[in-house]
Amino acid sequence: MRLPRIFRTTPFRLTLLFLALFLSAASALLAYIYVATAGEASRRTDEEIRREMHSLVAAYDRAGVSAVNQSLIERAASERPFLYLLMNKDQKRISGSIEESPVEKFNGDPTWTTFQVTDVDAAGRTVKHPARGLQQRLSMGQVLFVGADVGEDEAYVAQVVRALWGAGALTVVLGLCCGLLMSRNVTRSMTGLTEVVEAVRNGDLGARAHVRGARDEFDELAAGINEMLDRLERSMAGHRHAGDAIAHDLRSPLTRLRARLEVAYLDVEAGKGDPTQALAQALEDTDGVLKTFAAVLSIARLQAAGAAPDPVLFDPSELAASISELYEPLCEDKGIDFAAELADGLQARGNREFLAQALANILDNAVKYTPAGGAIMLRVRRRSSGEIEFSVTDTGPGVPDGDRERVVERFVRLENSRNQPGAGLGLSLVAAVAEAHGGRLELAEGPGKVGEMGPGLRVALMLPRA
Amino acid sequence: MRILIVEDDLEAAEAMDRGLSEAGNACVRAADGEEGLTAARDGEFDVMIVDRMMPKMNGVQLVETLRREGDQTPVLFLSALGEVNDRVAGLQAGGDDYLVKPYAFAELIARVAALARRRETGSVQTLLKVGELEMDLIGRTVHRQGKEIDLQPREFQLLEFMMRHAGQSVTRTMLLEKVWEYHFDPQTNVIDVHISRLRSKIDKGFDRPMLQTVRGAGYRLDA
Repeated sequence: MRLPRIFRTTPFRLTLLFLALFLSAASALLAYIYVATAGEASRRTDEEIRREMHSLVAAYDRAGVSAVNQSLIERAASERPFLYLLMNKDQKRISGSIEESPVEKFNGDPTWTTFQVTDVDAAGRTVKHPARGLQQRLSMGQVLFVGADVGEDEAYVAQVVRALWGAGALTVVLGLCCGLLMSRNVTRSMTGLTEVVEAVRNGDLGARAHVRGARDEFDELAAGINEMLDRLERSMAGHRHAGDAIAHDLRSPLTRLRARLEVAYLDVEAGKGDPTQALAQALEDTDGVLKTFAAVLSIARLQAAGAAPDPVLFDPSELAASISELYEPLCEDKGIDFAAELADGLQARGNREFLAQALANILDNAVKYTPAGGAIMLRVRRRSSGEIEFSVTDTGPGVPDGDRERVVERFVRLENSRNQPGAGLGLSLVAAVAEAHGGRLELAEGPGKVGEMGPGLRVALMLPRA
Repeated sequence: MRILIVEDDLEAAEAMDRGLSEAGNACVRAADGEEGLTAARDGEFDVMIVDRMMPKMNGVQLVETLRREGDQTPVLFLSALGEVNDRVAGLQAGGDDYLVKPYAFAELIARVAALARRRETGSVQTLLKVGELEMDLIGRTVHRQGKEIDLQPREFQLLEFMMRHAGQSVTRTMLLEKVWEYHFDPQTNVIDVHISRLRSKIDKGFDRPMLQTVRGAGYRLDA
């Protein structure tokens, strides 16, 4: 059987827990109060009875039964009379204030008993009072009983017990209130978080939990949830941006491709023209689209993995040398002066394949934008911070200060470079590779303007110390 | 050449079959891994083209099984997975080459031809000879018509690859992968520049060019 929802809520359980805690603490306290008051009263009465018995026994030992009788008569007039009964050896009444012993089985040892004593009150009614007494055998064989009316004690105890019940009830009420208050607090904190989760589930990624500033676990949780949502939102925005960018950069070549195929189809259908040219163009377009697609995929994978796959220790200068060997003839053909300055004995950690591609992309760009007669310098060195820096400096037109950030973003190509081939993904991939290695990409001005040349661009890829 | 095509995408298999048959090969098709295993066990093939992801038995399992049974037929893996570790996994399973989808047809044909050739030249050679061109692999020297040609180390490697695949089309991607060991596509025509340098060294001053450009495919060294 399942409990109704209210009984399964944390606030309800917390309230119960509070109540239980309050009750057990209060019970211990009340029990102590009971023992200290009611218990003490009955101990005192017993002590008085014992003392009275003792003095009577002392009188008996001094002067026998007659002395006891005398004492009983004297004491009958006292303010708070004890109950007495003196009996002979056969436990037959000799004298006393009660008619018979309340002790039912007497074997001669001192015996305590609790009984009822009948009295007549001021209004003439017969009332029964609780009483307690001690009976013991005297040295010559007689039996003496001394008792006391404990009605007043009992009334006091009853009063104490009533007070304790009241205190108990008060405790329950207080415990409930405390529990409800505390759990309401928890509920309120939880409700805020639940609402945020609910909102996010319904698609509102902008929802944020309220951090109350109490610096407690709920604030920590709220802050954690907010940070998680921030990251998620950024990542979603990134994906949306990527999606837009892919759509933009793939849609135009695909549209061109489709148009070309359609025209070729119509031409063939009409029986005019040779479609070979159009088909060759279409194939070229397709290759362009596939290249863009591959680059986007690489970037997406690197960003999704968040780390470079299969990292190895390698010599960065050796990697740079191998890439410059690939590009040097290209520079020479274009009339660009190529130089490399590669420091010895360096070590870096990363994915060689991706880093080689990143370097190739940087060099591709440099070669693409540097005019004949210009120069490209590839440098590998260790910075004072311990970072390994690959840098490529060219004497091309460079990138204006305000545009450098933008150049790195996916698919961005500056307006005036639209006529150059390339999908515009080169530096985005480099940035993704740098990021995946825990490094960074830095764009700066090159060597400055020299005649028609410059001011140039300096692209630096930094890897953290191995 | 007899070629086994194991590919579950029937349309792609048919296109491959047609293209390879037109290039003068005899093709057998299998539509999944199990069928491919049976066909490979029953027939004699020069090259097998195996898709990595297929129903019943995937390409890697298929090639692993064949290699365990002692079948050494060269295998070209086709895959939509292009990550470095995917490629390494394919080669470790016993594949000889790895081509990522989508591919250009010229690329496929060139690689299949290169794989079949690899099988023929099993023994260790110290001297390569293509027409007038001679390469001494131990002395690291190249001669054409008895005249020594001075090559840079990378040019030597490039020419060695071209000579080992003489008469076959070799694509730019193949050169980048096999000679430079890079698995990405540069945006610019870096390979063309290297080839034209090599060409100027081995063909310049001779009556007839040996290093040919094959339109839409790559390059070919003719005897």
